[in-house]
Order: sequence, then C-alpha cells, then structure tokens
Amino acid sequence: MSVAHRIIENTPFFGSMFRLEDNELNPINAWPALMSMTCFIWFTIAVILGWTMPAIQFLDLGSNWYYQNITLHGAAMAFPFAFQLMVAMSIHRAGGCLGKRADGPLVALFYIFMNVGGLLLTLAVLAGFHVTYTVMFPLPVVGVQTGQWDMWVLILGFTGIALVLISMILLYPIQILKMAFFDEKDENLQLAERSLNDPGMMGMVMGVLVLLVVGTPLLMVAGSLLLHLYGILPASMIGWAAKPVVFEFVFYIFAHNLMEAMALMVIGAVYATLPLCLADGARKLYSDRIAQLALWILLVTSLTSFFHHFFTMYPALPSTFAYHGNFMSYATAMGAALTIFTILATIWKHGIVASPALMLMLGGFVMYILDGVSAIVISNVAWNFKLHGTVWAGGHAMVVLIAISAIWMGMLYYHYPLMTNRIINDNLARKCIKYFFLAYIGLFYTFMAAGAAGMPRRNGAWESDWFIWGALMLVFGAGLIYAFYLYFMSLTKSRALEF
Amino acid sequence: MIDFIYTTGWGAFIVMLMFQIPFLIVFFSIVNKKAFVDSTPGKTEASKYSSTKWAWVGLTIIAFIVVNVASIQYMPTVIEAGTGNAKEVTVEARSWAFDISDTNLRVGEPVRFSATSADTMHSFAIIHPDGQQIFTMMLMPGLETANTLVHTFTEPGEYIVRCLEYCGIAHHTMKTTLTVASN
Ligand SMILES: [Cu+2]
Repeated sequence: MSVAHRIIENTPFFGSMFRLEDNELNPINAWPALMSMTCFIWFTIAVILGWTMPAIQFLDLGSNWYYQNITLHGAAMAFPFAFQLMVAMSIHRAGGCLGKRADGPLVALFYIFMNVGGLLLTLAVLAGFHVTYTVMFPLPVVGVQTGQWDMWVLILGFTGIALVLISMILLYPIQILKMAFFDEKDENLQLAERSLNDPGMMGMVMGVLVLLVVGTPLLMVAGSLLLHLYGILPASMIGWAAKPVVFEFVFYIFAHNLMEAMALMVIGAVYATLPLCLADGARKLYSDRIAQLALWILLVTSLTSFFHHFFTMYPALPSTFAYHGNFMSYATAMGAALTIFTILATIWKHGIVASPALMLMLGGFVMYILDGVSAIVISNVAWNFKLHGTVWAGGHAMVVLIAISAIWMGMLYYHYPLMTNRIINDNLARKCIKYFFLAYIGLFYTFMAAGAAGMPRRNGAWESDWFIWGALMLVFGAGLIYAFYLYFMSLTKSRALEF
Repeated sequence: MIDFIYTTGWGAFIVMLMFQIPFLIVFFSIVNKKAFVDSTPGKTEASKYSSTKWAWVGLTIIAFIVVNVASIQYMPTVIEAGTGNAKEVTVEARSWAFDISDTNLRVGEPVRFSATSADTMHSFAIIHPDGQQIFTMMLMPGLETANTLVHTFTEPGEYIVRCLEYCGIAHHTMKTTLTVASN
C-alpha cells in the first residue's frame, strides 16, 4: 500500500469519499485520490470562511475578522483547493490516457509544497498577516513597518507563499511535461489512449507551459525578496525586486495567466470528456480543428490581456497598452465563441447521455461563460473606471474559481469509478447539480449588481446600503453550501461497481 | 442612452445581460433537447453547421467591435485629450488618509486630479452621492509621474472619496468627501 493510499485510509470522513482498492492501477489512482481528498478539506474550510464574511458584517464583529477571513478564504479557495483539484484531475487524466505513472517524487513534492505552504500561510494569517489573497506589494512590508503584523509573521507568510508558488510554477508543470514527453509508457496503465494532438491533451500542455513561462519571473522576484528576509542576500542586491512596479507587474502577469492557464485546462477537460458521453457513441467532437483553433486563440490573446489589471493607472500604464489589453481581452471572447460552437454542434450532432458527470461539467461551462462575459465587460477601459475596485471585480475572481471548480468536480464524477471502483450516488449528484447551478446564478448576479451599484470590494466596515447585497450573499451562499454537502454525500454514499 | 450605458455601472450590467440571456436560451434549449427530449443524432446537413458557424463568429465579431468602438469616446484618456484648461487638484494618499489640495469644486468646471501614493498601493475613487462609482485610480507608490484623470462634475452635492485597493487593517477608514457647488 502506498503512502498516499495509507493517508486516505486513515483520514476520517473525507477519506471515506476516496477509499481505494489495492490494485495494479494504484500508480495512477493513489496520488490523484489523495490530492482530491485533501483539496476538499481545504474547500470545506474555505467555503465556511467565505460565508462568514457577510455574517461578520451583520453581527458587527469588526473589520479584523473580516480581513482575516477574506485572506484565508481567497487563498484556500484559489490554491490548495481549485489548483490542487485541477492537478489531481490532470495527472489522473494524463496517466490514464498516456499510460504513464502519476506518482513519483515530483508528485509527492507537489503535494507537500502545496499543502505545507498553505498551512504556513494560514498560520501567518492567524497571527495577523491580513493582506488579502492578491498581494498588494509593498503592503506586506509596510505592514511590518507600521506595526500591523510582526517581521516573523511576514517571513512565515512569504515562506508559505513561496512553497505554493514553487509547486504551481515548477513542480506541477514539470511533472506534466515529463509525463507527456519523456516518461516510459506502461500499457497496463493506459485506460483510454489519446495523443497529444487531442484537443483535451493539448489544452493541458498549453496550460502548464503558460504557468512555467509566466511564473518563473515571479519566482525570481519573490525568491530574491525572501532570500533577503532570510538574511542571505543584502538589501543592495534585491532593490530592483522590492520596487512596487516590478513586483506588481510580475505578480499580475502571473496571476492573470494562472487563471487563463486554468481556463485552458478546463476547456481541454470539456473537450476530452464530452465525446465520451455522446448518445450515439461517436466518441469525437464536431471538429477537432475548430477546437484546437479555439485553444490557440485563447492562448495567444490571454497572454497580454493582463494589462486590464492596470487600466486605471494612467499614465504609468500608457494608453496604448490599455487599449492593447482591452482589445486582447475582447479577443479571448473569439476563442470562447468557437468553444461554445464546438460544444453545441457536438451535442446537436450526436446527442448526449445526461450523466451527472457531464451535466455538472456543462453546468460549469455555462457558469464559466457567464463569468467570462462579466470579465470582458470590465475589461473595457471606459467601464473599468466605473467597476474596478467594486465587488464586480471581486465577484468575477470568485465566480471564475467556482465555475472552473464545477467543471473539475464534474470531471471527478467521471473519473470516480476508475479511481475507486465505486459509482457515485446518482440521485444525490443530480440534486447537487440543481442547487449548485441555481445558487451560483443567484450569487453571480448579486455580486455583479452590487458592483454596478457601487459596493466596494474588500471593505471591512459595510455601510447600510450594502447590507441588502450581503443578505442575498448569505442566502445564495447557504444554497451553495447545501450543494457542496450534497456533493460530498454523493461520494460517501457511492456503491461498489459489480462486474 | 449611450451616455447611460458607458458612464454607469448599471449600463455595464445591462450590456452584460444582453450577451448572457441569448447565450443561456440557446445553450439550454439545445442541451435540453439533445439530453432529455430526443437524444438521437441530429440529421442536420453539414452545410448548415458551416453557415451557422460563420454566422455565429460574424455576430460575435460585430458585437464586440460595436461595443468597443462606441466606448472610445468615454475612455478617460480620450476625454482628457479633448479638455482645454482644467483646474488642477493634487491628491496624496497614505495609510490611511487623503491629502487633497482643494475639496471645493464646481459643476461644469473640468478638474484634473493628479494623484500619488506615499507608502503602499491605494486608490483614489470618487463616489456619486447615489452610491455609484464615478471613477477609481489605482495608485502605486514609487512612480515618477502622478496618476492623472480629468473629470467634469455635472451635479452638485457631497461626493465620497474612498480608497478601493486593500491597504491594511484600517483600509475602510480611508475615506473623505468633496463638495461640488452648483454654478
Ligand atoms: Cu488605501
């Protein structure tokens, strides 16, 4: 029994969702199952913290709690939950489709770096490191100078962030590239053969390349700062990295493209799974070529659309770059339009079997497109000045993560029988999808309307006008929590496959 | 009408719905039909797919060109370029206060706000008395030039100034007012 397998066996409740059999498929099943289990532990905490944010305002518990929870909620949701779930699903898919092992030192290191990094950051936040999850440099340092948190807390928090970044920018991409191009194939592990030309696999490889390329400069900058904090590099050597403009630009080039890389992966996942759920058993997309074109458009246009994070910084961001960012953001919609066409044409041509896995993935895809529209609206320079800084922007960051996660959670339903030799509880899964989608729609339009009405994001002391939005957030948030409870139950109440 | 679309958050909200609602209707009707009503393969001819594809792509391109071209005249840099003499107001943001050179302004008088940050990331946002955001400017410390924007107030009243970039544990206290008098 592998280490991953043993940890699952010994984890209460969450372990029961992912209990594995000891069989010859363990090299592709054990670590993805462990990562899925662990990410849902983070998810549970993050969801509760998210729901407490409006509750803190209603109960008037003070801004400190609010800023603590917003930091923990955002960080846990984005990294050890959403990203780790994506890694679990993609290495499982790469393993089963290419016939390569999804275990080994890099996978174990990823798991340790991501989760230990997440824990260290959590400890720092509990000790007062309230920076929100999009680090606004130089706030972490200014916070020490102004006595908001201690130096050791900053070092602890940055160490955690560094571990998480290394896991996302180096360990995971290198593992996927290794599996795709170098590792030896084991026929016994190949469950459904796919080549790298398959749009599903192509999205995955593009995604990891984006992470590696746009993430490395951030690692250099953040690494220099951290080595200085450890006392290894003198201040004279890291002055360049400590400039806010340097840090913020490398950070947003990465953070923006991190989301785009996750989008490429998730579109690839839909392209990979939809053909397997067709009513006529055709097992192919309407057109692989259009699917590939859509991925290429998304890749090329998303890389430089990050300028939209800086539209309101004229003239530090010259208007030519603002216009470029505006154009590129809208051009990503061309990729989305082709994706919508491919998916609908495939469904129309072949019919679909409405399994919970496919329905959750399609529901997630609809969420993703709805959010995408809100994103390109705010990526217009004129509207950006009206909406940047409101909960429209914060809501977008949040719902894009929910949408992407919904697609991965649907994919997990699909992979689940391969992984555990059990099938999910169909009834509970269908009920989960209904609540998930309706609560999402409610929450999504609440955030967008609140933003349009001018409610600021990340504000720890709400004014009376904003509580109406807060009440809706509580209601729809409770709906989402119920949907997630049903999701967990659909896994714990799974039954053994009979042959 | 076009002014409302591009100068208010609700205008943006309406445009968002105009894209989302047709998408939702088309997507759900196709999925519903092919999943629950009749999942047998469609008998549509290949040429029909191709013409639908081009119509769909063409429609997307046209919609996005129209939305963006119409927005150009509302971009702050375009407005600034078209403004003659403006009253100069400087703003310095720091944790957690604003230092504004003049907080008494007039309706109809163009004002050029030049804003900087002294310590960490802040923003300088002006909120209409009805709660809607008029604009925000993200202020990064350490830049050599101030962030600038020209705005002409059209209604008198007490406007709220707020920082919208999270800047530490007292971020929400970073707030003041501007008075705009009628002419
Ligand atoms: Cu501030």
